[in-house]
Amino acid sequence: MIAAPDSPGLVGPVVLSMKMAHRTHGEGATAVHALRGVDLEVRLGELVAVMGPSGSGKSTLLNLAGGLDTPTQGTVTLAGAELSAMDPRARARVRRRSVGYVFQDFNLIPALTAAENVSLPRELDGVGTRPAREEALVAMAEIGIEDLADRFPDELSGGQQQRIAIARALVGPRRMVLADEPTGALDSAAGEDVMRVLRARVDRGAGGLLVTHEPRFAAWADRTVFLRDGMVVDTTGGASGPESLLAGGGRHRGDR
Amino acid sequence: MSIRHGIIALLAEQDMHGYQLKVEFERRTGGTWPVNIGQIYTTVQRLVRDGLVLPAPGERSDDRADVERFTLTDAGRAQATVWWSTPVERGAPARDELAIKLALAVTAPGVDVRDVVQAQRTESMRALHDFTRLKAAQPQTDDLGADLAWSLVLDHLVFDAEAEVRWLDHVEARVARASLHPRPSPRPTDDPAAGGAGGGRARRRSGAPPPGGRRR
Repeated sequence: MIAAPDSPGLVGPVVLSMKMAHRTHGEGATAVHALRGVDLEVRLGELVAVMGPSGSGKSTLLNLAGGLDTPTQGTVTLAGAELSAMDPRARARVRRRSVGYVFQDFNLIPALTAAENVSLPRELDGVGTRPAREEALVAMAEIGIEDLADRFPDELSGGQQQRIAIARALVGPRRMVLADEPTGALDSAAGEDVMRVLRARVDRGAGGLLVTHEPRFAAWADRTVFLRDGMVVDTTGGASGPESLLAGGGRHRGDR
Repeated sequence: MSIRHGIIALLAEQDMHGYQLKVEFERRTGGTWPVNIGQIYTTVQRLVRDGLVLPAPGERSDDRADVERFTLTDAGRAQATVWWSTPVERGAPARDELAIKLALAVTAPGVDVRDVVQAQRTESMRALHDFTRLKAAQPQTDDLGADLAWSLVLDHLVFDAEAEVRWLDHVEARVARASLHPRPSPRPTDDPAAGGAGGGRARRRSGAPPPGGRRR
């Protein structure tokens, strides 16, 4: 009756790759193993969700993915550069050029307009004000919010602010967005709008890693990775067929 | 689901014949609950029997039941009003296989509840991914209409699947906490004649208080 659409977008080259990544804090008897041998790959056009209970290693995973931290064992490769083999300066350069963050509370600068917020990372990259603004407008147009360019954050709804944060995360050459509970401060409908935008933006050529504890939002990803005690215990969402949808979809309890 | 109220609600808008009722019902519920024409006629006949529906006057056509139009009686109209203004009863929860399975898994020797939870979560997440893909393929609409109806029906499935995943997370957390404080495993009721009043049910499973609330 209802055909499931194929996974949207075309999947491109690998943007982020982790191989047997370990992260241990401390040594000996008091060592804390935050991550124990995680393999993860995100390609252009792919959105991967990470779920798991508190303390399962989600934040550590995000920090490694963004080059804010390095693995004690294993490798992390971002946009072709092996972060784990770099000195902090070189790592910071790759990080600045390749990834953007989206946080729960938007983190826009209130004194700057939307377009200025989006162009800020490019100005910090050393790009001039005018080209930076042009890139910002492109990034905003990419997700259909160019009409908000000259508004200030406090004139915008939470959902609109988060869309600006997504544009900022992917301004200029950045192709990887790390989103940490991006829907956490939004109501259900606004959260869904933001996921729709993030999904569409990733489909148009970016990689995304999404940490969330809300299964409803994780379901927008191509895959959901479950962490437990620093290990990936399960991955879902990869391949699934239309046969599972609605019609005779197994254990439905609504029928009374 | 009972289509009885659906038919009454549709007839409250205008008189319809059987096939029209089928088409309208499916269209208006986003195509999620297909009904066959036989179900429609059986239900309409019962509604006629109960005095809520009548064949529409002047539309009789003796040998062609499929063009016969139906109309609501005053009692039928009153029912429609009552239906809109009364909440759907939650009633007693349906006997849920998953809840039973996990309840048994918690005390079954040699069964790792965490594995049972994980396997189920994989399945529930898979369903959630599928529903969401359908949503993503749907153009977003803020107009009141069939697209919105369909998208809200999908949302219902999404929230239902999500509730299950959240409950599984909760089970996992409670089990993990409980396994830090192991207590002697409960023994099956040893009285073979147990069958009388108050049998095995009275046995308390744990002295722990009920869960404190939703996480977040």
